[in-house]
This record gives sequence, structure tokens and C-alpha cells, in this order.
Amino acid sequence: MFYIDIFFKHVWNILPYLKTTFLVAAITFLVSVLLGGLIASGMLGKNKPGQMLAKAYVNLMRCVPPIVLLFIVYYGAPYLVSSLFHKDINGLDAIYFAIISLSLLHGASFAEMMRGAYLAVGKGQEEAALSIGLTKWQAFYRIIFPQAFVVALPILGNSIIGLLKDGALAYSIGVVDITGRAQYLISMNLGGYVLETYLALALIYWILSSITQKAFGALERRLQKG
Amino acid sequence: MLKITDVHKAFGDNEVLKGVSIEVEKGDVVAVLGPSGSGKTTLLRSINFLERADKGRLQFDDIDVDLKNASKADIKKIRKKTAFVFQNYNLFANKTALQNVTEGLIIGRKVPKAEAAERAKKALDKVGLSERYDYYPGQLSGGQQQRVGIARAIAVNPDIILFDEPTSALDPELIGEVLNVMKELAKEGTTMIVVTHEMQFAQDVTNKVIFMDGGKVVEEGTPKDIFTHPKEERTKQFLRRVIPNYDYSI
Ligand SMILES: Nc1ncnc2c1ncn2[C@@H]1O[C@H](COP(=O)(O)OP(=O)(O)OP(=O)(O)O)[C@@H](O)[C@H]1O
Ligand SMILES: [Mg+2]
Repeated sequence: MFYIDIFFKHVWNILPYLKTTFLVAAITFLVSVLLGGLIASGMLGKNKPGQMLAKAYVNLMRCVPPIVLLFIVYYGAPYLVSSLFHKDINGLDAIYFAIISLSLLHGASFAEMMRGAYLAVGKGQEEAALSIGLTKWQAFYRIIFPQAFVVALPILGNSIIGLLKDGALAYSIGVVDITGRAQYLISMNLGGYVLETYLALALIYWILSSITQKAFGALERRLQKG
Repeated sequence: MLKITDVHKAFGDNEVLKGVSIEVEKGDVVAVLGPSGSGKTTLLRSINFLERADKGRLQFDDIDVDLKNASKADIKKIRKKTAFVFQNYNLFANKTALQNVTEGLIIGRKVPKAEAAERAKKALDKVGLSERYDYYPGQLSGGQQQRVGIARAIAVNPDIILFDEPTSALDPELIGEVLNVMKELAKEGTTMIVVTHEMQFAQDVTNKVIFMDGGKVVEEGTPKDIFTHPKEERTKQFLRRVIPNYDYSI
């Protein structure tokens, strides 16, 4: 028996926790962009040890399942911090650990995306910019970045959806986002209405993903010129 | 005006330039000829530091630098005095024809926007593109793109323009429009170094021809010297290969 009224009630019950889902996703996104930029510039730079380090990092992250990384960070980070700085961070809200591990993970895939987009633009664009008197930095932000951004957009849209969905794992260390809330509702009902609850959750993720996809599609069409 | 001496450049084990020296006077139109792989592009790129030579000296008016160790400030000065026209145009794909030309003025040379637009339009008019200011590179034919490339180069008022095979990526029927623009520039006294396979252009428009092979200058002289009385066997061979009926034409 499927109780449609429970399904809708649970959608309604879960929705307020979107706040946490968004917070995790937004901060993870920002950190991933910064970390990804750093790693991408390492991979693309002339410095050999830097290249190797960046590549090794990306490879490593490709091999670790997200949930495993999450637990490693959750249990490992307090250990690391206490042995390095003699500070106890065990009491820190789980959301920090979730953001750190998701950022470590997505920073690597963002780096790959940025590297690919940068290479797709081609060396000639930078050379032309240098030849008319732009500095390397000006060539980057005026000529290369705007083009690389357009190249990266479709992948970026998918990455953001992936990042939103990976956020669901955070409940496993106690973050109460929409997934955490769904788990809570199930346990409140002593394991009842499981299907209703998970379908309610899936519906919310589906709407989020669709909106993201549509938004990026629209942005792509707007930026596609020439 | 521009003198480069004993330029060497290797890519790994591949020695591409083995001591090239050339001299250009104000108003000169110099053609650089030579078979594929002889180092023509590399030489041109070394002049404005798109490639860093392993050895060599560059004198440009009052600037005198070592090509290998030139400082950022020197490079900047030299780039201010030169402009480059690329084989594949390399127009900024995210900018319109007009923006392609204003970029070097507004950002590279700090010219006020209004004045930059004025100068850019003049440059585009000169290359016959007054109807195409707001087109993106992707909306232009190859010949039109290369003419924007030339407008971008002349707009910054360089002392010398370096052309790297400006017509070799073009369909045959589009080559003429680009060469005509270059002829016009030559007539006005623009100093240019042109790497080219267009023998007719080299013969008719330039006042100096340099023939390179194997990373060295084999022979140089007036177009008449090189085309009708080449001294070196390698030059003769090259000309026979690239000019149909060469033996009859001289
Ligand atoms: N970035 C690079 N890395 C490695 N080798 C290079 C590089 N650029 C050029 N070369 C090599 O240097 C040699 C000379 O190249 P260059 O482009 O200067 O010749 P070219 O005279 O311009 O030939 P073409 O007429 O085909 O344009 C070639 O053997 C080429 O493979
Ligand atoms: Mg070449």
C-alpha cells in the first residue's frame, strides 16, 4: 500500500532542510573552484614536481569512493589536527567535515575540467594577446578564461548536479540535510513509509537537478556566439 | 632599425636555428623564403619572444638585448614596437572584429576607449572591412579573418609587422584580398618581415629576400638577385621546386 498523502506530507517535511543541502553544496562549490584552479595551474605549469603532485592528487581522488573519503576525513582530520596542532576538533559540527571531504573530491574533478577547457582554447589565443601587448594575466582573464568558461559550461552543469547528489552522503556522519531529514522521518515512523519518504526525497533531488540543468542550458545558449 | 645576430634555438635535440643574423631598415619589406622546417616561423617568433631563443642578440633602435636573458621589461618594450600576423589568424574568438582590434589599444597600450574605437575602425576600413565591425571571427571568411588580423596589427602602430605565412591557410581565391592589403601597406612604407610561399609577392613587393635552409640564412639580396641570379645551388633548387617553369622564366 502506497500512501500518497504521506508522500506529499514528507516532501513538505523535508523541504526546509534544503537550506543545509544548499549550504553544503555552495561552500563545496566555492572551495572546489579554488582548489581546482590551484591544481589545474599545477598540472598546466612548467614546474615538474608541481605537475606530478597535481596529477597524483587527481588520480588518487579518482580512486577513492566518496563515502570512504568522507569517513577518512571525519575520523582522520581530528586525529591529524590533534597530533599536529594539539587541538581537539572532535566537537566540530559534522557539516565541516562533509564540506572538506566533498571539496577534496570535487576539487580534483574541477581541476580536470578546467585543464581540459584551458587546453581547448588553444595556445594561439594567448600568443595573439601577448603579441599586441597584453600581459599573461590580462591574456588569461580577458581572452582565455571567457572562452574556457563557455567550453566548460556543459561539464560544469553536470559537476554541480554531481556535487548536489554527493552531498546526500553527508547524512552518514550526521549532517541533517534533506537526506538526513528523510532518514530522521523514517526512524520517527519506526521504519515505516520508507518508500514514500525516499520517493519524496528523490523528487526533490530530481527537481533540483532539472533546474540546474535548465539553467546551464539557458546560460550556454546565451554565451554561444560567433 | 632592427638587427638580430647569431640566433640559436633548439627544441630538445632538434637544432632549428643555427646562428641566424638579419638586418632590417626602416621601410624595408623583407621576404623570408625557405623549405618547410627550415626555421622561418621559429625565427619570427623569437623576435617578439613568443619563443625564447637559446642564444642571440637583438638590437632595435635604442634597445639592445640578449635574446636568452631579456628581462620582462625589455620584452614588453619590444612587443610594443612589433606586431604579429599569424598563419591561423588567431583572432580572439570571444570578441568581435572591432573588439579584436581595440583590445591591443585599450588594454595593451592604455588608449582611451573612444579614441581606440576610432583608430580600430580606421584600421578595419583600411583592410576593407567597414561593414564587418560587429561580426565575430566565426562569422567571417578566412580572408576576412586574416584582414582583421592585419588590422589588429596595424592599429597599434608598430615599428615593424611580422607576418608568418599570412595566406597559407587560405583558399586560393581568398589569397588575393590579403596580399592586396599587404601591398598597400608596403606602398605606404610600413616595415615588414614576411615569411611566405607566395613567390610572386616576394618578387614584386619586397626589397629584400632572405632564403633560409636548415636553420641558416643561405643567401640574401634584392628580389632580383635572388630570383634571377641566385648564387647558391640550394637557392636554385628551391626556386626550381616552387616556381613552375623556373628555368624558362629567367
Ligand atoms: N614548439 C616546438 N616544439 C618542438 N619542435 C618544434 C616546435 N616548433 C617548431 N619545431 C620544429 O622546428 C623545426 C622548424 O620549425 P619552423 O616552424 O620554424 O619551420 P618553418 O620554416 O616555419 O616551416 P613551415 O614552412 O612548414 O612553416 C621543425 O622541425 C619543427 O618540427
Ligand atoms: Mg612556419
